[in-house]
Amino acid sequence: MSGAVAPTRRALLVAAGAAPLALAAAASAAPASDLDILERLLLRERRLEAAYDGALRRGVLGEQLATSLRDQERDHARGIEMALTARGRRAPEAPEPDRRLAATLRSRAAFAAYALGLEGRAVRAYVDALASLRDTRLLQPLGAIMASEAQHQVALRMTLGEPLLGV
Amino acid sequence: MTSLTRRGALGAAAVVVASCGSSDAPPSTGPRPGSGAGLLNSILVLEHAAVAAYAAGGGLLRGEARRYARQIGEQERDHVRRLEELIRGLGGTPARSRSRDEYARSFPLLHDGGDALRFARDLEERLVRAYLQALPKLPDAELRRAAAEIGADEGAHLAVINVLRGGPAAPQAFVTGAL
Repeated sequence: MSGAVAPTRRALLVAAGAAPLALAAAASAAPASDLDILERLLLRERRLEAAYDGALRRGVLGEQLATSLRDQERDHARGIEMALTARGRRAPEAPEPDRRLAATLRSRAAFAAYALGLEGRAVRAYVDALASLRDTRLLQPLGAIMASEAQHQVALRMTLGEPLLGV
Repeated sequence: MTSLTRRGALGAAAVVVASCGSSDAPPSTGPRPGSGAGLLNSILVLEHAAVAAYAAGGGLLRGEARRYARQIGEQERDHVRRLEELIRGLGGTPARSRSRDEYARSFPLLHDGGDALRFARDLEERLVRAYLQALPKLPDAELRRAAAEIGADEGAHLAVINVLRGGPAAPQAFVTGAL
């Protein structure tokens, strides 16, 4: 075996924890379109957080999974909010509740299918954002959130009993 | 029998990449500097190794784990093809895969399915990291889009491996990968 230094689990955790800070770094004025993109991503994260919070309160997803996904969406939202405020933009108000959400909170399968749709659209929104953003300092931390949403899709497919990779 | 440790697997994954990079990725002379071709070629080397790793490790797995290893290996092959097209489009020469024997010599010794899954996890961590690190260095929006799309796939692969190892699919809010 070579002398290559393997990262410790602690180093990985520190790197993961640094992602929101990286988002907030560099408070210099970002191009307006970047701020608009961040704002739209933040609204998307808050919608996801509200969905998992609703699932948790109605007990339709399983406490452990719903709590974990809600808290992760909350962390994403916090990171993006910090990036926005560091760039001089006030975070937008909470989005209107999605009227479709209430109907899905009647069953585990209905909610998981709804959330899977939200997560899929979130991944596509991050891909679009990563192609469009001009401030390259945002790309890695937002990419880390995109990969997290892709993992949420796997967790939801498992709940639905679907193939984990969607095909 | 001694199992592959996390540290050992990560070190092995690093060796695989380092050793592949030294001979499999000749610098392209065609594309202009900063085009992204060299960077994509370095990721292509890792993707080739991942294809070989899933082929090698799949034999140690059974049932659902084996099926997913095959499916992920096929998706890594798709990534190889996509990267090759992008590199050619930039005027570069895609890095070639090594032979199965050459990969076998550079991979860690895999004794059982647990070892295979640990090695798969570490390769996926490296792939996620490679695509995320490439994003700010790629000069073109469509190259970034491709890296993001494949990076999302790698995040999902990592989640599947997490599940196959008995853990939660999505254990952390920021999936940064590992070197």
